[in-house]
Formats: sequence, C-alpha cells, structure tokens
Amino acid sequence: MGAPQTAMASATDAASPPTLRDRNVLLLDLSKSMLAPLPDAPSGRGDRQKIEVARTAVFRILQDAAATGTPFGLVTFTETVRVPVPLGEVHRENLPYIENLLALLQPSGRSAIWDAIAVGADLLRAGTQGVRGNLVLVTDGWDNASARFAVRPEPGSPLKNGYNDLVPYVLPAHSELNLRIVGIGSGVERDRGVDGAAMNAFLEQLRARAGELGLAGAFSFQEVTTGSQLFTQMVQAFLDVGYEDDRPLEELHPEELAQHAASAAKALKEPQQHATVARLRAPHPTGTGGAPDPSYLESPDLEIGVLSTTGGAPAYLRERYGPLGEVIECYLAAQYDRALKLLTESREVLPPVTRLYWQARVEFAQRAVVEAARSLLQAWTEAEKLPPASQAPVIRRLALLQARMQNDKETETLIRFIDETEHRLGEVDASARERLMDLLARLMELRGTYQLTRLAGEGDLQDAALRHEAAVEDVFGRLQDARLEFASAGPAVEGALDFIEICLAEMR
Amino acid sequence: MAEVKVTTRTRRTAGAKKEAKAPSADTARIAVVGIPASGKTTYFRFLAGHFGLNLPILYVPSRDDGGNLPLYGDLDNDVALEETTYETTDPTDPEGGLETTTRFYVNRPMEDRKKLWVELSAGREDQGILTKYPLPTKFNQFVEMKMRFRYGTPEDPTGSRPMELQTVDEAGGIIADYFSYDRLWLEDGEGEVTEKSCRVIPHFDSWRPDRRDLWRRGLTLLGRFVHEADAIILFLSPALASLRDQAQQINLARGVFRYIRARDLPLVIAISKADRLKDFYGQVEQSVRERTFRSQFDTADFLLRRDGAGMGTILVAQEGRGISTKEDVFLISSAVSTGEGHPMMVGEGGQEAPAMGTPTLGVPVMVNTTLPLARACERILAKRSTKGA
Repeated sequence: MGAPQTAMASATDAASPPTLRDRNVLLLDLSKSMLAPLPDAPSGRGDRQKIEVARTAVFRILQDAAATGTPFGLVTFTETVRVPVPLGEVHRENLPYIENLLALLQPSGRSAIWDAIAVGADLLRAGTQGVRGNLVLVTDGWDNASARFAVRPEPGSPLKNGYNDLVPYVLPAHSELNLRIVGIGSGVERDRGVDGAAMNAFLEQLRARAGELGLAGAFSFQEVTTGSQLFTQMVQAFLDVGYEDDRPLEELHPEELAQHAASAAKALKEPQQHATVARLRAPHPTGTGGAPDPSYLESPDLEIGVLSTTGGAPAYLRERYGPLGEVIECYLAAQYDRALKLLTESREVLPPVTRLYWQARVEFAQRAVVEAARSLLQAWTEAEKLPPASQAPVIRRLALLQARMQNDKETETLIRFIDETEHRLGEVDASARERLMDLLARLMELRGTYQLTRLAGEGDLQDAALRHEAAVEDVFGRLQDARLEFASAGPAVEGALDFIEICLAEMR
Repeated sequence: MAEVKVTTRTRRTAGAKKEAKAPSADTARIAVVGIPASGKTTYFRFLAGHFGLNLPILYVPSRDDGGNLPLYGDLDNDVALEETTYETTDPTDPEGGLETTTRFYVNRPMEDRKKLWVELSAGREDQGILTKYPLPTKFNQFVEMKMRFRYGTPEDPTGSRPMELQTVDEAGGIIADYFSYDRLWLEDGEGEVTEKSCRVIPHFDSWRPDRRDLWRRGLTLLGRFVHEADAIILFLSPALASLRDQAQQINLARGVFRYIRARDLPLVIAISKADRLKDFYGQVEQSVRERTFRSQFDTADFLLRRDGAGMGTILVAQEGRGISTKEDVFLISSAVSTGEGHPMMVGEGGQEAPAMGTPTLGVPVMVNTTLPLARACERILAKRSTKGA
C-alpha cells in the first residue's frame, strides 16, 4: 500500500520527546446506529454512513501519531469495550495493518459509552500521577449498555445501583486530562444523535471536580450534524499526487543526480527565464513532522501532503480524505469530468486553494491549458492567504504545476528536489532536518549574489564576484559541518547533501 | 583499526645507476594538484622527459625571449623522476598489508618518441595494456611522484637552485577531497588525517575498510607535503564531460584558493589539455603550420570573458588574492593531439610532420608546458627574497 507522504504543518517541535500529556486515546463508537446515514445536504452530495465519516477521523489521527511518534491508543465499543490498538507508539510500517483492521470493524449492538471512557482513562492512568493525556470520544449515541460506570444526571443525584461514579474515576487527584467529545448527529431525538444533555452534564461534573482539586485540563463537547461539517473539521487538507514521470532521488545514477542538481542550479542562476522560482519560499525548518496539534478537531491546520502513487492509487483515499480523496481517485483513474464535478459539489467542504489547484490540475490533464492557467492563478491568490507555516509547501506544489504547464524543466527539478528532500527528511532526526532545511534556504539565497555578478558593471564585477564566492564558501563550510555531524544519518541526508554540493559547484 | 604491515622494495628502470639523492635543505617544493584525469601524469612524464629528450615547446602567445626559461635537468641527480606506489597487497583482505614500491626514471632519451605520446595519451583502461606502468586508477593504490630539476640563471650570483615538483598521482580523488574539505587540512608536517575527519567526504563510511585506510594514508601524505610546499600548481581540465567531475574540479579549485590564502602560498594555475579548446587549438595549429605566425592570443580575456575554463566568475573573484589572472594562469598542452587521436608531431625543421605513412622522425608538440613551472619557481624566489629583505 502506498503510505501517504505527508508534510504536516505544525508549529510544535518534533524533537522534544512525547510527554505524558502528549498521549492520545480515541474512543470510537461501533454501535449499530453508526451504520445510519449522516445527511450532507449543504454540499448536495450523497449521504454517508456515520461510521464511514468516523473512520476518516481515526485514519487521520493514526497517521498523525505515526508521523510524530506520539503514543496513541484506540478503544472501540458496542455493549462490549475492546482495545484494538493498545496505547503505544504507532510505527509507520504497522499502519497498513491497523488500517485494514479498522476497515473490517463493523458496527453492531448497543453503546457502553461510560464504560468505554473508563477504559480509555485506564490506558492514560499513570500511577499516582492520575490520568494524564488526551481522550477523544467519537459517538452518535446514548449510553444504553454500560455495566460498570454511570454518570449522575445532576450533581449530587443518586447513581444507579451497583454502578461506579465515572467522574472521580476518570479524574483522580493530580490528573491532567483533556477530554473532547465529538457527537455525530443531533441528539434532540433519541436514536437520531448523541445524548447532548448527558454529555454536557458529564462535562459539567468533570469541570467542577477539576476546579475542586485544582487540576489542569479541558473538557468540551461538539455536535456535528452533517458529513461536511465533520470533514471540514477533520480534513482541512491540501493533497497532491506525484506525476507519472517522477523518479525518487535514490533511484538516480550519480551522474543523473549531478544532471538534476545542475539543472536545478540553472533555475537559481537564471531568474528571468525561471520566474516561478521567485515565488518559492525558503523551506521552513520545522515544516515537516512535528508533534500533533491537540486542538486538531477544533481548529485544524491545513494538512499538506504528496501521496505516493507507486504501485497504484493509494488505499483508503476516500476513507481518509473524504471528498478530496474521491477527486484524487477519479483523477488517477483518468475520470477527469467526474473529478471536476466532484470538485464543484465539494465547494463548501474543501479549502479554496485545494479546490482551485485540483481544478487546474485536472484541466491541465484534459489539455485545457487556458482554463488550467486561470484556475492556477486563482489558486495562487488563495495560497497567499494561508498562514506562513502552510504557505511554503503549498506554493511549491503550485509552482511545480506551473513549471510543468510552462515546460520549465529546471524549475521543476528544483521544486521536486526541495519537496522530496523535505519529505524524506520527515523521518530523520529533527536537528538534521533543521540544518538541511537551513542549508537549502541558504542555497536559494545564493540567487541574489549570483545575479549581482551578472548585472555588475566592469568596475563592480570583482566586488560582486567576491561577495558571491564568500557566500558560496559560507554555505560550503556549513555543508561540511553537516556532513561531519550527520555522517551516519542515512541516505536521505547524504543524498540531500550531495545535491546541495553539486548545486553549489554550479553556482559559478 | 588493525596496524597495517608496510613492506618496501625498490625497482630501477634500465639505465638507472643509483637511487635519487635526498633533496638538500634549500630545495624548494612545488605541489601539483588536480582532480583525476586532469593531466598530472602527462605533465610529470613529459616534463621529466623534456630534460632528457629536449622536447620542443611551443609558446602561445609567442614569447619575445624565444622561450629561454631557466629550467634545467638536475645533472647532479641522475634521477629525473621518482615514483613510489603505495598499494594494499590484497584489496579483498581487510587485514592485508601495504606495500610500497619505488621506481626511478633517469635522464635518458627514449628510442621511440611517438610511442611515449601514444602511451600517455591513451585512455586509462588502455594505458594498463599499453604500458608496464600501473596507470589505471585503482582503489587499492596511489603513487607519489617527485620530479627533480633546477631553476635559475647563470647570471644569478647564487646560480641555479634545486627544485622538486611533487604530487600524489593515481589519486586525484584524494587531492580533490583534501582541498575541497578544509576540515581535513593538517596544521603541521607531522599531523595525521583522522578517520573521524574523513567522514566529511561523501559516503566515506560506506567504503571498504582497506580503501578507507588507503585514502586516509593518502590524505595524510598529501597533507604533509602540501604543508611543506613552497608553491602550488593547480591543474584544471577544460574537457570534463561528466557533471560530477566538473563539480569536483570546482570544489577543488575553491578549496585551493582558500588554502593558499590561509597560508600565503604562491599559486599558479595550469589549464591543461588546452588543445581541446577550439580557439586555443587554432592558434597552436597556425603556429606550427606558419613559421612566421606570432600569436597574440589573450589568455586572460579568453578565460574571463569567454569562460574558457568554465570558472570565469571564480577567477574574477580571486584576482589579486594570491593570483593574477594575467600572470599566473596558463593554457598548456603537454601532448597536443591533431584531434583525431594522433599526436601532432613536428619534424626537424620545426614544421608539422605527417601523421600517416612511415613512422615519423618528428617529436610531439608541447605547448606552454614549462610556463607554470617557471612561474611557480619565480614566485617562490621572489617571496624568499622579500622575506630575506
């Protein structure tokens, strides 16, 4: 299965080891009611089953956890509570198995919500330090099957006989817990949606107890009534797929690598002929990987990724990315008209830059060059509105498409190298990544001093050449230090350093 | 790392009566550096041969002094060239020993001058077949080359001075690495390049242990003799098809500029294989065909304005920082080709000898070959006299 190559935008430094607070447990409702459709009227698209939408959330959170090394656990519940993924680090190579397992989970039976929350709290229990971590509950129902725990309807009211009070169990002394409840469907009518009253009562009691004990933590309940709402919250993404002629750096013969580097350097040396390069931003040192944003359900960053299509279309595209996944599936199957139709239908759901980019890409595939150029121009405008952390990688994807539309091979090579390097470095040590991204940024900046050597008059030429050479030597010195420091960092780092070294030699 | 056994033996070529004398204290050393296939071997062999063979040298642009440079074979020292091969005895055995073999070449004319050209201008694969010399680059050996000569004028009250030209041959990669990566540089003549600092070389850790060890030894040997060097001649080849080789050469050049600035060393640049540059070759051809033609070729203009060496900007930046592009950069060709794989030969009358038919009586044409050497010597002496003053 082609694992997605994601470049998650996050402001958090992935270098810091996960703390107890970084642990995440997802509680997923698998009761029979999850098979019911979730209306999606605003976008005019067909309804989806709640479980289908909920799986999207799980896929996405799992992916985040695998990318960042944050401990993650999954609890599913019907009338029985199960732990399909025990709390621990999710390794990228295990993702396909877990995702297959999730795809096989079929809803049935009733909902033991309170018992499930208790099991989730048990996973996050850290001895005398209480319950520490993040719990996310995704449910559409009312508790109708818990056998051990219950929540008082109101503070001080009696509990059912034989049941334990969930609130002190979940929140013992010294705890630091964030609980977020995502309720699918309106709970105004029983069996049509989540029991909002019970959830709010539960959260009120938790807040009161946290206040009494002086505990830090956040407790929230959010009701979503349409699939679009949930996707909008969960899948704010700019996704792209590679082009058919993409070849990874590690597959290149050393002389081919040199040719690519020389070609990329040409894009830096000749800005007039490669205008798109001027739009590129220097790579953000912490632009890849990064710890998960705990508030991803409330205010998600734009998820940016390039999906590998080696060996066919990536699995679970639709499940993982909803409408955008469907568009990409159609594109890969060369169903361009359907892809455009889906883009129109998903107007409300997709971020504008994503929609316009894909419109341009599909139109370009249809050889509608004028339309593609118009859509891409609009995408550029939207990209300018993005926050800085998301902007650089999105702009590179836009620039890559523009370079292809203009048949500008040099710019294409440069962008591909930066993109691929950023992706490959996502798996290496954060300090190595930061250093290499810094080197890349400095390499890009050499455009300026090189240009001065071209523009300088007779008298100023030596000054300009001297300044450029000093700048090149500075970067080369940093490159040597990086070689010494990261000598065993693996082929991703070495390949990037080789490429930069050849580019430097070409900047003359 | 396990201690490597070192054995030494000496071979003499026919006619070599004795081993080379140890250089005297006032011998000035000139290091020749360049990437693999930049022309170092040809330069040493032809130049050494020049003293015994008196090969004619053509100057482009023409020189008013008629080409009378005060360079002489060292008559006190029968040995013109000394080559020491350092070789791991069994490349597949990580504990194999290191063997050194020294060969001495004396000032004797060769019977067949054309054969010399054919041998030296052949590709590296063919050289192994054509010659008995261990020329093809192998990962398990490098060769230290020393050429002894004298520089000076009879009018000079001190007479001529002994000079030694030195390089690590068959290991241009070692040279390129050493100068490119200043983290390898030795700060004294007894220093050792460490295994740790070698990791600045791309992919060094992935090499076989015996190659790593040999490379480190080569870097150390080179580091020590360039530390002791009084001047450096940098060879740049304008005929590199491979982009990787071009990048290697640029990195080497930039490294050499850093090195000479840091140590205040005289630097002379020889753009070798200059007969591959069309503009330059045109001048050579005309000079050979028309005996009255006096070339006014402007080397600096060709290199800087027309980027004849592929490094115009770099040379501009270095102007006045240890080199002068007008006085210290030379286009040379030690074994001029007719462009069709044949040597360009000149007959007794100085005109081009036919390449076809009966084996010619002519001798190979060398262009400007002695100029970088003479200029390096001149700058060494100038520096010494300044110091003395």
